[in-house]
This record gives sequence, C-alpha cells and structure tokens, in this order.
Amino acid sequence: MSEKHLSSQFDSDLNGVSSQLMEMGGLVETQIQRAMQSLANFSTTLADEVVHAEDRVDAMEVTIDRALSSIVARRQPAARDLRLLLAISKITTNLERAGDEAQKIARKVKSIVESGEARDMPIGDLRVAADLASSLIRRALDAFARLDVAVAVSIVKEDDLIDREFKGFTRKLITYMMEDPRTISDSLDLLFIAKAVERIGDHAKNIAEYVIYITWGADVRHRPLAEIEAALRENQAEDLS
Amino acid sequence: MNTLSDGKTPARRTSRFARRKWINRVALTLSFIAMIFGVFWLMWILWETILLGFAGLSFSLFTQSTPPPNDAGGLANALFGSFMMVTLATFIGAPIGVLSGIYLAEYHPRGWLAVTVRFVNDLLLSAPSIVIGLFVYAVIVIRFRQFSGWAGAVALSLIVIPVVIRTTENMLALIPSSLREAAYALGAPKWKVIIHVTLNAARAGVITGILLAVARISGETAPLLFTALNNQFWTSDLSGPTANLPVTIFQFAMSPYENWQQLAWAGVFLITLAVLGLNILARLLSRRK
Amino acid sequence: MILPNIMLDTQTNAPPPVKMSVCNLDFYYGKFHALKNINLDIPANRVTAFIGPSGCGKSTLLRAFNRMYELYPDQRATGEILLDGENLLTSKQDVALIRARIGMVFQKPTPFPMSIFDNIAFGVKLFENLSQIDLEERVEWALKKAALWDEIKDKLSQSGASLSGGQQQRLCIARCIAIRPELLLLDEPCSALDPISTARIEELIAELKKDYTVVIVTHNMQQAARVSDHTAYMYLGDLVEFGETEQMFFKPNRRETEDYITGRFG
Repeated sequence: MSEKHLSSQFDSDLNGVSSQLMEMGGLVETQIQRAMQSLANFSTTLADEVVHAEDRVDAMEVTIDRALSSIVARRQPAARDLRLLLAISKITTNLERAGDEAQKIARKVKSIVESGEARDMPIGDLRVAADLASSLIRRALDAFARLDVAVAVSIVKEDDLIDREFKGFTRKLITYMMEDPRTISDSLDLLFIAKAVERIGDHAKNIAEYVIYITWGADVRHRPLAEIEAALRENQAEDLS
Repeated sequence: MNTLSDGKTPARRTSRFARRKWINRVALTLSFIAMIFGVFWLMWILWETILLGFAGLSFSLFTQSTPPPNDAGGLANALFGSFMMVTLATFIGAPIGVLSGIYLAEYHPRGWLAVTVRFVNDLLLSAPSIVIGLFVYAVIVIRFRQFSGWAGAVALSLIVIPVVIRTTENMLALIPSSLREAAYALGAPKWKVIIHVTLNAARAGVITGILLAVARISGETAPLLFTALNNQFWTSDLSGPTANLPVTIFQFAMSPYENWQQLAWAGVFLITLAVLGLNILARLLSRRK
Repeated sequence: MILPNIMLDTQTNAPPPVKMSVCNLDFYYGKFHALKNINLDIPANRVTAFIGPSGCGKSTLLRAFNRMYELYPDQRATGEILLDGENLLTSKQDVALIRARIGMVFQKPTPFPMSIFDNIAFGVKLFENLSQIDLEERVEWALKKAALWDEIKDKLSQSGASLSGGQQQRLCIARCIAIRPELLLLDEPCSALDPISTARIEELIAELKKDYTVVIVTHNMQQAARVSDHTAYMYLGDLVEFGETEQMFFKPNRRETEDYITGRFG
C-alpha cells in the first residue's frame, strides 16, 4: 500500500500480515519444488522432509488468520483495507491447499519409490507442468506484493496452459496403460500427482483473482477470461489518457 | 536502564517540591489574612447593627410615625414610603431593563444602537447615585417646584434600569445558540422563541438581577435626598415629599436626640435584614438551575 | 481508476424517487466560499449520510436545507434546493412553514426549559389548533415513534432537562416528528452520547426511514456505514463523491474518498 494511514500502527499491522503471507508463499513454493525434486531423484528422504514441513505451512496459516482477526476487530477496516484483509484470508487458504497438494505429491513419490518400478515412466512433461505451477504461485505472490493487475490477469490466462498440459498428460498415461497394463498402478500414482499439479495451478489462479479483487474491488471468479482482459485493456487505456 | 534519570533527579525533585510547598503555605497564609481583614469589618458592622438595632425593635416601630425629638414613635411612615417608592421604581425600571436587555441580546447585538446603548448603560451603571439624584432634581423637582415621591421613584428606577439591562443581556447571552436554533428549526416566530425558550431559560438569572437591583435601591439615600426629601407624617400621596427609610436614618442618626438615634439604628437593622433577605432569595433562585 | 460497469456486481434497482434535489448550490460565510457548486439528489425514505473532515461543509449544507443560515446576516446561499420540486431558496412560502416540513436535531440535545409534554406540544401548537385530548394523543404518538414513551410516560410534567443525554436527544427527535415533517435533518446527533444511547438512536433512525427521508451528518464513519443507504463524502466545500453506502465503504470510485474512509487522510 503506497500511502500511509494516520495510524502508523495500522500500517505496520497490515505490512506485518502481508509479509507473513509472502513468507508463507515462499514456503509453499519451496515445498512444491522439493516435492517435484523428490520425484525426479526418487528420493524418499526428500519426500519425507516435504511431508514433515507441511506442519510449518499449517502453523503459518493459523498465525496469519489470528493476525487478521485481530486487525479486523481493532480497526474496522473499510474499502481497500477491507478488501486487502479479505483477500489475504482467502489467499492463505489457497496457499495452505497448495501446500497440501505438495504434501500429497511427496506421499505419492514415496509409494512410487517404494514399489520400485517407475524409473522409465514419462515424468518429463509432468516436471514442466509442475515448474509452471510453482512459478505461477510465485508470480501470483509478486502480483500481490505490487498489486499488479496485469500480471494477475496473465496468471489467470496461464493457468489454462496447465489445464491443457494436464489433459495431454492424462491422454498420454492412458495410452501407456493400454499398451502395458503392468504400468497401471504407477500410472495412476502419476495421474494423481498430475492432478495435484493442476490443483496447484488452480490455487495460483485463485490468488491472482484476489489480487484483482483488491485493486478493482470486483469479484472476477467465474467470469470469462475475455471479459477480464477487456476490463484490463479499458483500465489501461483509462490510465494512459 | 532508565536513561531519563541520572540519579540526581529524585533529590532535585524533592528540593523543588519543598520550595513549592513553602511558597504555597505563604500564599495561603496571606490570603487567609486578607479574608479575615474583610470579614472582620463586615462582622463588626453586622454586630453593631444587630446590637444597636435589635434594642430599638418594637411593635410601635411598624405602627407609629416618626416622632418629634424626645417622644415615642416608630418608622411606619418611612417604611411605607420606602416600600411605595421601591415598588414603583421596580415596576418602572424592571420592564424597561428586561426589554432593553432582550433587544441587546436577541435583536441586533452588534448594531450601532446596541453598541451605543451598551456603552451608555455602562456609564449609568457606574454613575454615583448622587449624580442621578441631582439629575432628577433638575429635571423633575425644579420643573414641578415640588419634592415628590414620584421623583424619588423615578430616581430609583434610573438605578434599577442599568442593573437589569446588564444582567438580562448577560443571562440571555449565556443561552447556547443551539437552543435558539432548535426553536427556530421547528418554525417558531422570533417573539415566541424569545418568550418561550430563551427568556424562559434565562428566567432565574433575570429575576435574580431584578432582586439584586431592588436590594441596591432599598438602601440608596443620595437619590432620595434631592427628590423625595422626607416627611414626618404618614402619607400615601406620592405627589408631595415622601417619608423614606434611608433619609430618615440619615437625619435621625445625625441628630443629638437619643430616641431618634435609637430609631435610626432600628431602621438600619431593618434595611440590612431586607437586603440580606433579597440576596438570599436571589442566591436560591440562581442555584435552583 | 474507473471500473467498467460489467465488472461491478451491484444490482442496479430502479433509482428511488428523489425527495430533495440540490442544484448548483454555493454558500458563503461573508466572503468565504464554504460550499462550491454542490449537486446531489436525496432519495425519499432513505437515510443519506454526509461525511468528511471538520470544516468540509457538511453541517453548512444541512443548515442550508432549512434555511437556518438566515438567522445570521452575513451568510448566504445561491443555487437551488428543490423539495419535491419547489425551490426552497426562492420560495414565497414563509420560512417557518418550510421549517415545519424539515425537522432538525442538533449535536447537543436541546430540550426547551419546560416540561417534557410542553417540549413536544410547543412545536405542535405553532401550526395546529388541537384540543387538549388531540394534543395529548399527538404527544404520546411522537414519544412512541421516538421510542421514548415507555421510559417517560409517568413523568411528562417533569422538566425536559431532567432526562439523560440520550433521552433528551430522543425527546428532540420526538419534538421534530410531532409536527410531522417530511424530511429529518440530524446534525451529528450522537456525538455527545455514550455507545448505548448511540445504538438506540441508530435503531430509531432505521425505524424512522419508513416514514421520513433522513439526512444525517456524522463524524463517525462507522456510524455512516451502519445507518445510511447513501453516503456523500465532502472535502473543503466540494462534494467529492456521492453513492450507495455499501459501495462507498467497499470500493469508492474516487481515490480521495478511499483515502478518507480508510484513514489515510492527512
């Protein structure tokens, strides 16, 4: 937030909760990357670490929620402060869910490694998608930090890419399973991981939508992308003129 | 570590405090002495008045007229004359004063007329009463070639008017403008706002002002010396010289006759009592707010 | 930043009928230009709140509505204030009759120095010649409307000043209602009251808007958010923004409004 409140305590409360959110976002991002790394390296120790670190994500969610309710109770925020706090509350929920997905990936990696037969499965595509998903989370948080609507809109758009990637990957796995029914159980595990990656992308998209909500005050969930983009163009034209 | 205190602060504080306490005690003692000085004279006056006046009190005081030297009598004619003139002066002066006060506070408080009236009124308020007596003597007594109770009443009313104007204006000015606005906001016309709301709210103060004016004129001697003069006999006719308490006291107290002096003290006692009563009444009225 | 309309989710109902319409209103204290070209429509049977920092002109605007400023010779207004289409500023109607249509309650409670009953009867008797029974009925009706009857029905002959601050303020509201105005102007009616009395008055305002059009000036933004349907934000004699309260407190269109509402003003 650019301008200061009359109450500097209010400012530092808001800044505090925002930076806690960024910290939580960073943690979730690492979780996702490490989960995917454990898959690439077939490393159960790394996967174990991811599973355990999930507690920290949960704890951060609780801390942020407490800070939010304290600010609401003390300050009765309005307008953009109100939108910011509502959005932070929703964003933490989404981050926590994304963290859950990372944990699920790590669990699946453990079961794949323990079954010991998946080395020649096609995980390359999956890694690309997972990288995209974790970068979406990071960029969504960047957009939040700078309240950058243009970036947020581009994230909403890019989430479609992940969805498409997921569909392609599913098709690919189906052909695998049809060719060699022995891969079915590992393929299902991979499918599960792919679904988790797709979910992470969805959470990134939700976060981006809340960034738009903070700046525009408009709820763009469930709105067609074309409409959102049109609104963005109109706004940019407005700002230029 | 508290960086604000360097260890010496408590000592410095104590010495400052001791100094302040000492100054406080000196100032208190001085004001107490001043108070005693004032109250002492007041008490002495009251004591003498009661002592000498009380002895003179009797039933005949209220039934018989002023006697010749060394004869029995009372103050009935003087009391009645004073009562008549004070009442009359109040009935002339209070309405004029209240209405003028209303004009000053409610109509054009900053107009040239109000400013002038206020200035003249302040002059009148501080004018020596003997000047007023002389003025009425010149304007009425000389013109009609006759000392009269009427002239006395006029002189007294000239003392009532400025007091009442001043208190009425001040009391009305104390009424918050929001009260006035609230009445106007209901659509009330100005005269109704003044009568029902502002004057009503200031009523206790205005009546107090009138009572204080009455208290003041009931002891005035100078304005009556040149106007009502005095009269040894009972009369209810105000067109001739009229007996009154202050002038009677003045004459009797200066006389060599003991019974007259006795009556003068009794009169002083009665006036003091009346003024005291009026003041207490005014106090009660203004407190009941 | 102006949002494209499709992005705002506010359902646009048919606009409510307009009770009072202010057009090109300018107001001067002597040479000081206190209100600058104010234009707004006050909807009927709604609560409209004026907010803004001290000296922004919100009370001045309110006092222009019932021509209260005419009590002071150096104040004047130009422009139009239309009450049901009739310009109050140039109306040939007596100002007393205009004020009878527009009730006003002030910041500090202003009970008249008379009994509770007479406080209310005073205004009624200015305009109507009622029999004692009708008058008593009217007083009771007004006190009931102001949610005060049950508390004071046994002490109608006591002085109005004997009531508590909150009761006095409700008495003042009852006094206004008793002459059956069309519009109620409330000038910071709760600023001298404790939270419970304030809550009672706010409750009362919500009740009153069924029958009256209410305009309230308040320093307390939360109060404006709680009680009003429409909010006007004023600053230095300008009307900065006027809109539905929900929108004003969630996503005002103007940056200045948002800064004030979120406490970034200064």
